[in-house]
Parts: sequence; structure tokens; C-alpha cells
Amino acid sequence: MQKRPPLYTLLIRYREIGLVLIIAILVSAVGLRNPGFVQPSNLLFILEDTSIMAILAAGMLCVLLVGSIDISIAGIMALSAMVTGVVMRHFLTAVEGTVLVNGVETVMTIRTSVSLPLLLLVGIGVGALCGLVNGSIIAYGKVLPIVTTLGMQYIVYGICHIVSDGKAVYRKEMSDAFVEFSRASFLGLNTKTWIMLFVYVVLMLFITYMRRGRHLYAVGSNVEAAEMRGIPVQRTIVMAHVIMGALAGLAGLLYGSHDTKVTQDMAMGYEMYVIAACVIGGVAVTGGSGKIQGVLLGALTIGVINNALTMLRLTGSSEFWKKAIQGSLILIAIVSNVLLQRSLNRQNLRRRNI
Amino acid sequence: MREHKNPLRALLRWEVLLAALIVLTYLFFNAQIPQNYTIPKLLSQTRVYMVDVGFMALGMLLILILGDIDISVASIASLSCTIMGVAHNGGAGVPFPLALCLAIMVGALCGAANGYLVTRFKELFPMIITLSTSTLYRGIAYIILKDQSAGGFPGWFSTNLGYGMVNIFGYEVPVMLFCLLLVIPAFYVWLHKSPSGRRVFATGTNITTSFYSGLRTDRIKLTMFMINGAMAALGGIFLTARTGSVKYTMATGYEMQAIAIAVLGGASTAGGKGSVIGLLLALVLMTCLKNGLMLMYNDAFVLNLAIGVLLIMIVLVPNLSAMISQYRQVRKRRSDALRVS
Repeated sequence: MQKRPPLYTLLIRYREIGLVLIIAILVSAVGLRNPGFVQPSNLLFILEDTSIMAILAAGMLCVLLVGSIDISIAGIMALSAMVTGVVMRHFLTAVEGTVLVNGVETVMTIRTSVSLPLLLLVGIGVGALCGLVNGSIIAYGKVLPIVTTLGMQYIVYGICHIVSDGKAVYRKEMSDAFVEFSRASFLGLNTKTWIMLFVYVVLMLFITYMRRGRHLYAVGSNVEAAEMRGIPVQRTIVMAHVIMGALAGLAGLLYGSHDTKVTQDMAMGYEMYVIAACVIGGVAVTGGSGKIQGVLLGALTIGVINNALTMLRLTGSSEFWKKAIQGSLILIAIVSNVLLQRSLNRQNLRRRNI
Repeated sequence: MREHKNPLRALLRWEVLLAALIVLTYLFFNAQIPQNYTIPKLLSQTRVYMVDVGFMALGMLLILILGDIDISVASIASLSCTIMGVAHNGGAGVPFPLALCLAIMVGALCGAANGYLVTRFKELFPMIITLSTSTLYRGIAYIILKDQSAGGFPGWFSTNLGYGMVNIFGYEVPVMLFCLLLVIPAFYVWLHKSPSGRRVFATGTNITTSFYSGLRTDRIKLTMFMINGAMAALGGIFLTARTGSVKYTMATGYEMQAIAIAVLGGASTAGGKGSVIGLLLALVLMTCLKNGLMLMYNDAFVLNLAIGVLLIMIVLVPNLSAMISQYRQVRKRRSDALRVS
């Protein structure tokens, strides 16, 4: 028997390597055209820019693993950001004060409100509550996930509008701590990146090493078998949705803090990118299979595509091309990943000794 | 015909439920705003709430019956109408009827591209494929039309088709609605009574079995996606007739509305289920509800809130009542068993 080339075995064992290749090709191709793209600062910026989508994709992984789907996350983001914003606006106190800016004393308005941890708690709590409702309807009411969350999307945006009383929350109604929340940096990395890394590490430990985390895979692979094995199927589904909701709440706060405004139609259509990131990352929409490393790479692929399109400035009217190219690039990324997998599987079969 | 032993269960049939809801909605709003909420006014409002989304929902029904989903219908409508507008009014100066045919052909072509990708790459999910093609199609429309809008359609298109009324049995019915009502019976007969329609259901119920029974499932899927694309283009054309101009952002969010209506009409995203009659009733229900809510609150968000609640409730309530009756049966059986022992 001939010696197997180690590259193939690696590729077969770790699907993610294909994705790393795609990202590498994309980055180097764009880097050839615009060297600024491969500067470390820009690569860090891509990481920072993708972090919100990556956080959502991690939550979506949990939901997809149990064989469910959540297309109401954009609405949940908007609602939790809006509730937090309204709370913040209600307790806002603005004081004129002198601050040292670059050694010059400047008069600035200092805005304080409810402390940041409390705001985070409110936002994440609202998100988790929405997730609980979604999960309960899906698990106990036996309504198809796509129908439930489609309905929830409408409902949540409606509630968001009612809560906001028709007014958006702007910079001047936000506390400084909240605005600073997505802008501060620590050890050279932005807080958003740190939060994303934290979420990924915790979630990875949870779904690979903890019993309840493994339940997600069990329920998604085979519901009947999981039920016979004594796994609380319905509770697991609810848990997945609560995780998704809480992460959507967190992402909503980051989004609002980054944009320094919270509107009623915030993040509309965002869910599609998140699902695309998961699928590029190799998560099966039927449930039961998918790795968190893949999801991170999938989110990064979309992030790189988005950033590259801005950096390339193809023609004067690049904005017009951006949307079309975005769609086709995502499609190409997904399809080439599939083709790569197919050829690898074929290689594998051919090498089998029968 | 399936016999219903329990008359209560028969009442829970989807279509009956929908019809009851329509009557309730009508009575409720008629009591609240009697002068503005009458059948003639509702009929004239179907132009806004029913026709364009109705065509898209009909196409979507086919895809849902197959167990797939198509997110790109709104973008297909946008692209095909953009091409129609540019072909008629841009440098080409194509005669308008030809431009109409071109729009439908573009729609069918986009649908065929979706269908090709879906059947060729079975590892990928239709949702994800149509998601990316949806960005692609709308992006192409954006490239063609930029930020401008195309208009200047012939009078018969925007006046007669968009705003015209025909008199049917003493009621003034919009021409657009009349067109939809012509298509729906044809759809019903084809989908529910003809062999080719039944094949769609068979494929959606169990694709493997259908394939081994000799159905060309790939070709069926491809055709259905093509028809869906053409229907999306048709919906877009009616939307254009109503609004009078084309922009690349047109019909945003229509894909979700179409899915919502098809699901409300009894289709399941798991495939194999769905009916044209249910869809028609769901359309009527949506029209009654939207019109009433718009008159009372004049707020699109409240409207969406109500639609969301309706969408979840109408699926949840029968499920819950079935679960409760099942639970009762189990308890009864258990107590019987205890009594015997």
C-alpha cells in the first residue's frame, strides 16, 4: 500500500482547512491589488468589524445544532438595544464639565446614566427572554422553527416600535460609558474582539466538554434516540434558543454602541449574513453537525469579503457593484467549499482497498 | 374523503379555521369602523394588499410543497421589472408587450438558476443558495438602474391594469384582482387535480421514494423553481402597474410576506403540505386584517406585530389543542387501567 500524502488526510479530518485556504486566497488576491489590505492594522480591523456577526454566528450554531433555526435575531437585537436605550435615556444626566483633551482643557458634556453592567444585564436579559419565548413555542408548541421565528421577527420589531414610542435613541441620549463600550481597547485589541473571543472560548468549552453542551449535538443528530437515552430534548431546544437570544441581545448592544444610534429597524436583514456565515463554516442546517471553529472562519470569510470590497474600490461606482459581488462571492465560497469536500471524499473512496 | 369522527376535530380543519377567522376579522372591524370598512372598499383595497404578493405566494407555495424555500423572489421581481423598465424606456426602446414577456422570461431564468444550483448542490440548503442569489439579483438590478427609477409605461398598463375596475355581479372589482382570480382556479386544477401537480406533492413528501418510483425529481424541482421565478416576475409586474415606476429597492420584504401567506394557508416548510384554497383564504384574511389595522392605527409596525401573532397563533393553537386532547386520552387510559387492576 502506498504511503498517503499527509495533506489529504489533514484536509479530510479538518474540514476547516479548506476554509482557511479560501480566506488565504481571498486575502492574498486582494493584497496584491491593494497592499494596505494585508497590513496588520487592517486585519485587526476586519476582526473587530466581524465580531458582532461572529458572536451572532456562535449563537446560531447552537440553534442550528439542535435542528432549529432563528431568523428573528435581527429583531431581537433591535429590541434589546432599544429597551436598553430607553432605560438609558430615562435615567440620563448630562453635566457640563471640563476635561483634559490632549493637554488642553475643554468643556464637554459628560453624560451618565445607569451603570454599564446593569445596562448589559437589561439588554442580554431582554434577548434571553425573546429566546425563551422562541424556544418554548418551538419545543413545547411543536411549531416549525422557521415559522415561529418568522412570526417573532414581525412581533419583536413591532414591540420595538411600541417601546421606542416612535423615537430613535441618538448619541446625545446615550451615556458615555455605553458609547465607549465598543470603542475602548485592551492590550491592543478592541473590546468587541475581546468579547467575541470570550464568547467563543466559553461556548467552545461548553459544547465540547459539558454534558448539556453535548446534548445539543445529540438532539440534532437524532431526536428519538436522544429522547430514549433520557436527554431532555425540549429543554435542550429551549436552552439553545435562550443562548441565541442572550447573544443576540449582547450583539444588539454592541451594534447600538458602535453605531451610536438605535433605530426601530436596526440590523434588519442581518440574520441572513449570520446564517450564511454558519453554512460557509460547515454547519448542517438539518442539525447535529458543525464545529465552532468552522463558524468563526465562516464569519471571517464574510468579513473579509465585505472589507475587501470596500478596500478594492473597483471603479468609481464601486458601491453599485458591491452588493452584486457580495452575493456572488458568498455563493462561490459556499460552492467551492462543497466542491472541495466532494473531491476529497472521492479521493478517499478511491484510496480505499476493496 | 377522510371521515372525521369527532365533529370538533372537523372544525379544526385548516380551511374552516381560516374562513372563521376571516368572518371574525370582518365583523370586528366592521363594528369598529363601519363607514370605512365595507365589502366594496375592501375589494378596492385588494389592489394594495392582495394581488402582487398573491402571485408571489402562489409560486412560493410550489417551493414550500417541495420542502424547499426561496428567499430570492423579491429580488427576482426587482431584477425582472428593472430589465422591463430599461428595455422599454432606456436606449433599446423595446415595444412594451415584448418588454413584459422579457420580464417574465428573466424571472423564469433567475428561477432556473436557483433550481439548477439547488438540484446540483444537494449538500447546500435552498435557503442559503437563494439567500445569496437574492443579494446577487438585487445587486444586478442596482448595477443596471443605479439610484434612478424607470417609469413612463403605457397608459393601459399603469391606468387600466393598475387602477382599472371591472364590474362583476354588481361589485366593482379591480382588474388586478380579476387577473389573480383567473390564475388561482387554473393553479388549483393543475396542482390538486392533474398528475403533474400530484407529482410535486409526491416529491415534497418523500423525495427518495419518488425518485425510486420513477419521478424525475431534479427536473420537477428545476421546473418548480422556474415557475416560481416567473410568478415572482408577474407579481413584480403587478406591483409596477400599481406604483407606476421601478426602483431597485422595490418589493423589499415581499419574500417573507409570501412565505407567511403560504404558511398561513396551510403549507409546511417541511414539505408535502399546502393547498391553493388555503392560500386564497390566507390572502383574504391578510387583506381584511391589514386593511382594518391600517385604518385603525395607520402604523406599519402594529400591522406587522399583528401578522406575527397571527402567524404563530394559527399554527400553535391547533397543536396545543391536539396535545391537550392527547394528554386527556392518556390520562383516561391510565385511570381505566388502574380501575381494571
